[in-house]
Amino acid sequence: MKQIQDAYIVAAKRTAVAKKGGAFRHVRPDDMLAHTLRGVVDAVPAFDLNDIGDVVVGCAMPEAEQGMNVARIGLLLAGFPVSVPGVTVNRFCASGLNAVADAAMKIMTGQCDIAIGAGTESMTVMPTMMGNKVTVNPRAFESPENVAIAYGMGLTAEKVAHKYAVSREDQDAFALASHQKALAAIAAGRFAGEILPYTVRSHLPDLASNTVRIVERVFDTDEGPRADSSAEGLARLRPAFAARGSVTAGNSSQMSDGAAAVLLMSEAAVQRTGATPIARFRSFAVAGVPPEIMGIGPVEAIPRALKQAGMAQADIDWIELNEAFAAQALAVMRTLDLDPARVNPLGGAIALGHPLGATGAIRTATVIAAMQRGEARTGMVTMCIGTGMGAAGIFEKV
Amino acid sequence: MTSSRFRIRRVAVLGAGVMGAQIAAHCANANVPVILFDLAAKEGDPDAIVKRAIAGLKKLEPAPLATADRAAHIEVANYDRDAARLADCDLVIEAIAERMDWKHGLYAKVAPHLRADAIFATNTSGLSINALADGCPEAMRSRFCGVHFFNPPRYMALVELIPARGTDAALLDRLEDFLTTTLGKNVVRALDTPNFVANRIGVFSMLAAMHHTTRLGLGFDEVDALTGPAIGRPKSATYRTADVVGLDTLLHVVKTMTDNLQGDPWHRHYVAPAWLAALVERGALGQKTKAGVYRKDGKAIKVLDLALQDYRDAAGAVAEEVQTILAERDPAMKLAALRASEHPQAQFLWSIFRDVFHYVAVHLGDIAHNARDIDFAMRWGFGWSAGPFETWQGAGWQQVAGWLREDIAAGRAMSDAPLPAWVFERHGVHEAAGSWSAVAAKLEPRSVSPRQLFPERVLAEVPRATHTVWEGEEVRLWTLDDADGERVPVLSFKSRMSCVGPKVLDGIREAIARAERDFDGLVIWQPQGPFSVGANLKQIRPVLEAGDFVTLERVINDFQQASMAIKYAQVPVITAVQNMALGGGCEFVMHSPRAVVALESYIGLVEAGVGLIPAGGGCKEFAIRAARAAEASATKDPMNFLQSVFQTIAMANVSKSARHAQELGLLKQEDVVVMHANELLHVARRNAVAMADSAWRPPLPAVDIPVAGRSGIATLDMMLANMREGGMISAHDYRVAHASATALCGGDIETGARVNEQWLLEVERALFVDLLKTKETQARIAHMMDTGKPLRN
Repeated sequence: MKQIQDAYIVAAKRTAVAKKGGAFRHVRPDDMLAHTLRGVVDAVPAFDLNDIGDVVVGCAMPEAEQGMNVARIGLLLAGFPVSVPGVTVNRFCASGLNAVADAAMKIMTGQCDIAIGAGTESMTVMPTMMGNKVTVNPRAFESPENVAIAYGMGLTAEKVAHKYAVSREDQDAFALASHQKALAAIAAGRFAGEILPYTVRSHLPDLASNTVRIVERVFDTDEGPRADSSAEGLARLRPAFAARGSVTAGNSSQMSDGAAAVLLMSEAAVQRTGATPIARFRSFAVAGVPPEIMGIGPVEAIPRALKQAGMAQADIDWIELNEAFAAQALAVMRTLDLDPARVNPLGGAIALGHPLGATGAIRTATVIAAMQRGEARTGMVTMCIGTGMGAAGIFEKV
Repeated sequence: MTSSRFRIRRVAVLGAGVMGAQIAAHCANANVPVILFDLAAKEGDPDAIVKRAIAGLKKLEPAPLATADRAAHIEVANYDRDAARLADCDLVIEAIAERMDWKHGLYAKVAPHLRADAIFATNTSGLSINALADGCPEAMRSRFCGVHFFNPPRYMALVELIPARGTDAALLDRLEDFLTTTLGKNVVRALDTPNFVANRIGVFSMLAAMHHTTRLGLGFDEVDALTGPAIGRPKSATYRTADVVGLDTLLHVVKTMTDNLQGDPWHRHYVAPAWLAALVERGALGQKTKAGVYRKDGKAIKVLDLALQDYRDAAGAVAEEVQTILAERDPAMKLAALRASEHPQAQFLWSIFRDVFHYVAVHLGDIAHNARDIDFAMRWGFGWSAGPFETWQGAGWQQVAGWLREDIAAGRAMSDAPLPAWVFERHGVHEAAGSWSAVAAKLEPRSVSPRQLFPERVLAEVPRATHTVWEGEEVRLWTLDDADGERVPVLSFKSRMSCVGPKVLDGIREAIARAERDFDGLVIWQPQGPFSVGANLKQIRPVLEAGDFVTLERVINDFQQASMAIKYAQVPVITAVQNMALGGGCEFVMHSPRAVVALESYIGLVEAGVGLIPAGGGCKEFAIRAARAAEASATKDPMNFLQSVFQTIAMANVSKSARHAQELGLLKQEDVVVMHANELLHVARRNAVAMADSAWRPPLPAVDIPVAGRSGIATLDMMLANMREGGMISAHDYRVAHASATALCGGDIETGARVNEQWLLEVERALFVDLLKTKETQARIAHMMDTGKPLRN
C-alpha cells in the first residue's frame, strides 16, 4: 500500500500512572481509557467526532475488565458517537505504540483522515502478570527452542544481563538514576502538559454508619518514583528470578495502571478542524529476537525504524526507551551506543511504572510534550516485547 | 434472663501488650469473638496502639495466629471511645503492665461498663490476686480472679487459675471449662502466693542452677547442655530460656520474690547474680536485644564467659562420664550415681535436683493444693517431661529423702530448712487414689473433664481400661467400656511415630472390615505421638535396595487401597489427628469422610522431600477436588485450585495449624477443629456416632472427573521451567514436581477429558514407581533415613 498523505499528531494525553493497587485500584481500565479519549478530543478545537475513522487501543492482557474489545467500550463510555469504530490490538508491551502506529497508518494510507491511537492497562485487575487464566501450550516443552515461551520476563532479563555482562551495580545505578530523573521532572512540573488529571470517585462502605461514603481524589502525579530510593537500599534487595542472579524488584519496571490517547489527523483534517499539528509520525518498525533474551528487541527494531524514516541514530534528540529491566535497557543502550543523555531524560518505567499495553501511548505523550516544550525536534519511543520482539516508532516536530 | 448454659459470646482483652495481643489472637484461633482494648493514642489514629499490636502478631514467631486472616477477627478498641462495648463481653481479661496502681485505676474506669454477670480476670504473673481484688468495686469481687497464661499463650499449655478470697466457686469451674475446651489449655488451680506455682518453682530452679553454675565453675553453655533434653527438659534449657524470657523480665520476677517472700528459708537466694544485673544494666536483655547470655555473631553462637568477661564460641557438652550416668535407665541408680560422682557436672545435676526437691517439699503446703498440681505446672508451664515430685518418687521416695536429709544436715543444700515430717511418713506423693495434699494432709483424687478420655497422667495414675477387639502386628483395634465404645472402636498404630508399612495397611483394611461387620463406625487415633509421619521408609528401603519394584508397586497399591477403604467404608471412618499427619498419614486424613483435628496439627504432603509424589491417593483426591471446585465456578477452570495445591505439594509445605491445613486444602472445610488435643477421641467418637445415627452413607464412587490434562501440566511446568532455569531448583526437583503436576492434572491426556478414580490412582502410582527407580530419589530416601534431613540433589 502506498503512503498518500502524512499523519500529524495534534494531541497526546495520558493519565498519571498509578502503582498496581494504588490510586487507580478502584478505577476500571475502560474508564481510564474513556477519560483519555475524551481528553484528546477536548484538547483541540471542536470537530465532528463522526469523522473519527477508527480508535485503535493497545492492551497487553485484553480480557476481563479490559476485554470485550475495550476500545469500543471505552469510546462509547467517552460519549463518542456510535458511528465511531474501535479495535483493540495486542503486541504485549508495544501495544500502545502499535496502536498509535496503526492509527497513523490508517491516515497515511488514506483509509481515514482522523484516528486515535491509545493504550490502557490495569495490572491491578489482573490476578497474575499473565492475565486471568494462565495456560501454556504443552508443545512449548516438547522442543528446547520453544521452552522460552514459558519463561517469565524476569528470567529473560537475567539472561540478557548474563549475555551482555550487565553488572548488578550498573543495573542498580541505572535504577536509582531513573528515580532521580523522574522526581526532578515531577518537581519541575515537566509532566504537567501531558497528564490529564483524573478525579477518582470511590464508593466505599462506612461500616460504622452503614452508609456509602463517596471519596473523591484528584490523581495527577505519577505514583512510582521513590524519594527514598538509594544505592544501599537497592543493593540490599535479593534477586527475584534466579538464585545467583542480579535482577531485583528494584531494578525492574513497576507494575502499574494507566492509559493514554494520541489524536492523529491528515493535513486536510488539520485544516478543516483548525487543530495545530505538533509532530509528524515518521516510522514504526517491529522485529523478532530469541524469546529468552526478549529484552534486546529494540536492538533490531531501532535500525529498522530509522531506515524507514531515512534518519540516522544521531538525528534522534529524545529517546523513550522502556525500562522493562535495567539489565535490558543497558544492554540495548550499549549495543547500539545510544547517548545516555538522550535516553529517558525524565526517568523511565523503573520509576514511572509500566502499565504494559498502555506504555507505548503514554511515552508517546511524553515525547510529544517534550516537543511542545521545545526540548526535542525528533523523538523515538521504543521497547522490548515478551516472547522476543522489539518495537520502535519515530516522531518529528512540525 | 438467666441462662442454664454458660456461654462466652465475646471476650474483651484489656491491654495490647505482648501477652494481651497474643491472648486475643488465641481467642480468634478458637472462633471466640474478641475485642482488644488499649489506651487511645494521644496523637494521630486513636487506635494506633492496638493496630500496631495486631500487625505485630503477624510477624511474631512462633505464630500466635493459626491463620494470618484471623487477625481481622480481633476487633480494635480504645477505652475512651469503646468502653461501652464491654457490656457485650462475658469474659474480660485484663493484661496491662504489672503495676498495682495502674490496674486499680483501670478497674475503676471499666467497672461501670461491665455486665453484671461478666467474669473479670487478671493475667498477672506477679501481683497478688487478693490485693488486686481489693481494688475492684465490691459488686465485682465475686466475679474476679486471676488467669495466668504462659508465653507464648497459643503454645504453652498451662493456665494458672487463681481465685481471690471472694471468688464464686461455680464461676471458676465454668471458666476452667472455657479455658480447657474452648481455648485448649491445661488449667492448674493455684493459690494466691507470689509468682503462683510454675514460676515460683521454675524461677527458683533457675536461681538454683545459677547458684551451682558459679559454685562449680561451669560454663553457661555447659549448663544448658546438662539441663536440656539430657534431663527431659526443653532444648532452651536454663540460660537460653532466660534469654527468650528476657533477662529484665527475669530480674523483675526475682524481685517479686525478694520483696514478697521475706522469711522464706531460701530468701537470701532470691537475688539475681551480679553478672545478670550487669547484663540488664547495659541493655543486653536476651533475644529481644539480640544479646544476653548468648549472642549471635553471624552464624556463630557466642556465649558469655564470666572468666573471660567476654563472649566466646558456645561449645558446652555433657562429659562422657556424665553421659554414661544419664544413660542409666533406672532412675534410682541414676540419681545415686550423680550424687556419688565427683565430676562437677554430676555434682551440678544432683545439686539442682536436690535443692528443687527440698524446695517443693517444704513449700508444697503453702503454694499448691497438692503435689500433682506442682508436677503438672512444671510440665505444662516449663516443658519438663516430669515434675519434681515425679522425678523424686520415681527414684525411690524414702531413699532420696534420706539423701536430702544428709545433705541438709551437712550444709550442702541451699537452705537448712528441715524437710516436713510428712516426707518421712510416706512412700511417695502420687498414688492411684490421688496425690498428696500437704495442707489437707490427705490424698486428693483427680477430677478431670469427661471429655478427656485419656487425660495426661501424673506418675502412678492408672489409665482407663481398654478392651482389645483385634490386634495385628502393627495395629490394635480396641474399645472403651462405655456407650460410645459399644458402637465405635478405635484403631491405633503400634509402629514408631505411627509410620505406615505393609502391616499397618493390612491392619487398616482388617479393622474397617471388622467395624463394618460389628460396629457403627471407626476412629483412627493414636494414644500418643503423631497421627502418622507417613510411609515406613525403614521397611521400604531394603526392598528398594534389592531393586524389587514389583513388590514396591504392590505396596503402593495397598496404600491406595487402604485410602480407598477409608473413603468408601460402609461405616464412617473418622481420623482423629494431632501433632503430625505427613505423607501417607495426610492421605488417610484426606480420604476420611470426616477428620477431627487438634488445632496444633502439622499436616502436609511432604513426599517431595524424598524425591517422591503423594501416591496413596493424595494427588487423586486433589484432582477430584479441583474438578468439583471448577464445576462450582463460573469459569469451570480447575487450575485456580490446582495452582495452589501444586505449590503445597511441590514445596512439601506443612500446615502451621489445623485451620491453616484447611486453607491449604489439605483438610476439608467440614472437618472439625478441636482446641484441646486430649478431647480429640471424645469428639471423634461422638462424630462417628452422630454420622451413623444420621444414616450416613459413603459417597458414590467418583466418576466423570474432568481433568486439567496436558495444558494444565504445561501451565504448572511453566513455573518449574523458570525456577530450574533460574537455578532455584535442581533437575531432579523439576522431575519430581513435574510428576506431581502430571498426577494432579490426570496424566498426559487432553484438557477436560473425563476420567474415574481408578485412572487417577494408576497415574499417580506409575509416576511414583518411576521416581523410585531414579538414583536421585533413592539417594534422597537413604539420606533422610541416615540423617533425618532432606537431601538437595
